[in-house]
Amino acid sequence: MNGKEVAGSGERDWALLQPHHRHTQRQSSDESSASRHQATPDHCDLQCKVILLGDSGVGKTCLLTRFRDGKFLSGNYITTVGIDFRNKMILVDDSQVKLQIWDTAGQERFRSVTHAYYRDAHALLLLYDVTKKQSFDNIRAWLGEIREYAQDDVVIMLLGNKCDCGSDRVVRKEDGQRLASEYKVPFMETSAKTGLNVELAFHAVARELKARAKSQQDGHSDEGSFNVHDYLRQHQAQKSDNCFATNCLS
Amino acid sequence: MEDDLPTEYDVIVVGTGMTESIVAAAASRIGKKVLHLDSNEYYGGLWATFNFDGLQKWMEDLKSAASENKDFKPDLQDGEQFLQASNQYSTIENIVEDWFISNDEDLPAVLAKNTQTESSEEPSGAEKVDDDKSDKKDTKHWSIDRIKKEYRRFNIDLAPKLLFARGELVELLISSNIARYAEFRAVSRVATCMNGKLTQVPCSRADVFANKTVSVIEKRMLMQLLTSCMDQGADSPEFDGYRDKPFVEYLNTKKLTPIVKHYVMQAIAMATDKTSCRDGVNNTKHFLNSLGRYGNTPFLWPMYGSGELPQCFCRLCAVFGGVYCLKRHLDGVVTSGDKCKAILSGKQRLTLEHLVVGQGHLPPEIVASTGENKISRGIFITDRSIMKGEKENLTLLYYPPEEAGQEAVTIIELGPLTNACPQGLFIVHMTCKRTKTAKEDLAYVVKKFLKAEKLEKNVSRTPTDSQTQTSIAGGESVSKDIESKNPDDENSNNTMPQVLWSLYLNLPASDIKLSESAPNNIHLCSGPDLNLDFDFAVNQAKEIFKSMYPDEDFLPRAPDPEEIILEGEEAPGPKFEGDNSNGENEKQDNEKAEKEE
Repeated sequence: MNGKEVAGSGERDWALLQPHHRHTQRQSSDESSASRHQATPDHCDLQCKVILLGDSGVGKTCLLTRFRDGKFLSGNYITTVGIDFRNKMILVDDSQVKLQIWDTAGQERFRSVTHAYYRDAHALLLLYDVTKKQSFDNIRAWLGEIREYAQDDVVIMLLGNKCDCGSDRVVRKEDGQRLASEYKVPFMETSAKTGLNVELAFHAVARELKARAKSQQDGHSDEGSFNVHDYLRQHQAQKSDNCFATNCLS
Repeated sequence: MEDDLPTEYDVIVVGTGMTESIVAAAASRIGKKVLHLDSNEYYGGLWATFNFDGLQKWMEDLKSAASENKDFKPDLQDGEQFLQASNQYSTIENIVEDWFISNDEDLPAVLAKNTQTESSEEPSGAEKVDDDKSDKKDTKHWSIDRIKKEYRRFNIDLAPKLLFARGELVELLISSNIARYAEFRAVSRVATCMNGKLTQVPCSRADVFANKTVSVIEKRMLMQLLTSCMDQGADSPEFDGYRDKPFVEYLNTKKLTPIVKHYVMQAIAMATDKTSCRDGVNNTKHFLNSLGRYGNTPFLWPMYGSGELPQCFCRLCAVFGGVYCLKRHLDGVVTSGDKCKAILSGKQRLTLEHLVVGQGHLPPEIVASTGENKISRGIFITDRSIMKGEKENLTLLYYPPEEAGQEAVTIIELGPLTNACPQGLFIVHMTCKRTKTAKEDLAYVVKKFLKAEKLEKNVSRTPTDSQTQTSIAGGESVSKDIESKNPDDENSNNTMPQVLWSLYLNLPASDIKLSESAPNNIHLCSGPDLNLDFDFAVNQAKEIFKSMYPDEDFLPRAPDPEEIILEGEEAPGPKFEGDNSNGENEKQDNEKAEKEE
């Protein structure tokens, strides 16, 4: 399944138990919350399911909260309790894209994420903690699970989180880059604490999904219309000052 | 990653079957500290759905089932007793797997050329295989290699079950807000076999009246009968004197025509000659109640298979703080007096108030009877539907026994739209009560509907488009008229679905009972039962929850994400307006949806 199908879901005769899961009907029930939080119209051109993945404690929930609410959760939130998924509407060029971002609900702690979690995900942010070698080493195992249970065409991005850590860093940026290029996935270092690259990561996947939806609509092949690598390169360059300021590169 | 689990819990749940998962979610939902374990690396136990590769691995693992460690000597305190867990109540028997097609290399050269188009796989999680496209344009033959290669496109259920649109599970999924984790597809037709022919049962009122094979008088009789079932169920005075007699005896007094009687017995009540009037009427009521809510029939099928549903409940449990650990074996339970105090698992002692345990992990000491109702299952990959249709169908067929000694068989046929299999194939599930082995029990039905013989190498069965199946098989053109299809007719052999692969197995009985002396804080969860739906599991979970927490709500509605305000995020300002009005909205939405259907 892909972005296109979600956008034009009218003809699907899936019997969904919850009528507001249907996008056409969802909008009325969603209106209050969406407008309250973001003051954007509730109309959306594309809805995407984005899932977060990676070891316990790498900052998945923090990344989500930073992006969704612009806040950093400190201390108290050791594991994910009560955060199921959150919606956020973002503007990509002139289209409203609704990201439904799912958290692991803590099931990753003992490597027990339900297979159902991976289903129908359009994009997947795979995180490790630059201060924990183990979380980096486990990325290969997570990629294995993704390959087994996620859709073939899921958009994957590798993120090295906590890059504000200064001297606690144990995973070099080049290591992340090398791993990412081995698996041919885009890569960035992020900080949920400072907000570095957080918006960029979500916007990049949204753009990629939108480009795919568009090229499928137009009947073109998936290739060429948008390149997530190029997009990141351009936008990361602009922010490199930030990056140095927070000791991202050690 | 650390392996040590926290050691104190309110509820420990062992096994991730349907009942276990519902109880886990319910306990977690009201704030209990829950640990949920499974010795497998997948969710669902005997309720699981596998892709083709996963199913093969599952069978391999059964063969090499770990021998139990008999000399397990835990450290115990005074007065404690250790009961070792056993997997003897989840034994799968009589597995028979067969292929009816060839490997690539055995196929004629022209065909073999088409089947290997993909290059070796890249070591990348991001690879983009254009399976979709290649599927559409190719008309290549199915080989063993090709099925194995497309293993991920299969979702094969060990225990396929449908949901009644107004059954216990649908109501629970909606009321608890767990429905957001799953997607469903309506069963598109209920079929029945009449005079040797498969025909679609008219389900809705409109269908009944549009049906030309039933006369006006018959329609009136039928509506009258159905109305009396609907209104008061089996308690209606209409059924006085018949409740404990066979349903068929009651129907005989109504002077129904054979067709009407057939519809009521075999499609609506799904009854045999032995079914009591009480059960027959209740089944009828259940069926009718669920009509008209979603789609054409009273039934829903979970997308990606029944095995998705336990995972939905597990997800909710986790969202509310439940701890999940797969691949964690239960060594045994520690009891003291009439209580279970702890379990031992992976060298850890984990204490608990309540132990909820699937039947696959029970210590034999506390089991009173192993149950009678064992299950025979047959799973088939076929190349076309058992009954042609204009579009791809999801079909339910109830087939009553032909002669004494046979059991009624429930058949569910799934196409690619359910994600059960790739384009061009169907999955047929057969289920019945076990009397001999699965293969023997199901043989009479397989013979009736499927062609389970080796496909000759050089006979070319025209690959069918699964949607329409206007196929020409063996050079003979096939009449489009469903009614003309007679499986007893020799000539029609070519129109029967060719079985590409089959698997038979016997599942254990689900009516296992604990002994009276079992600690009363151990709660048994049964494996899959013989019923078509999940009501048994839902009701069992409710009973368990009630016995643990009699005063608590069972799975109250979980908030939508936007209703959650993070602690400390903001001062507790005005509550999210949705709390009340949201329920209203939802109700309205529900009604709206119902009208639309």
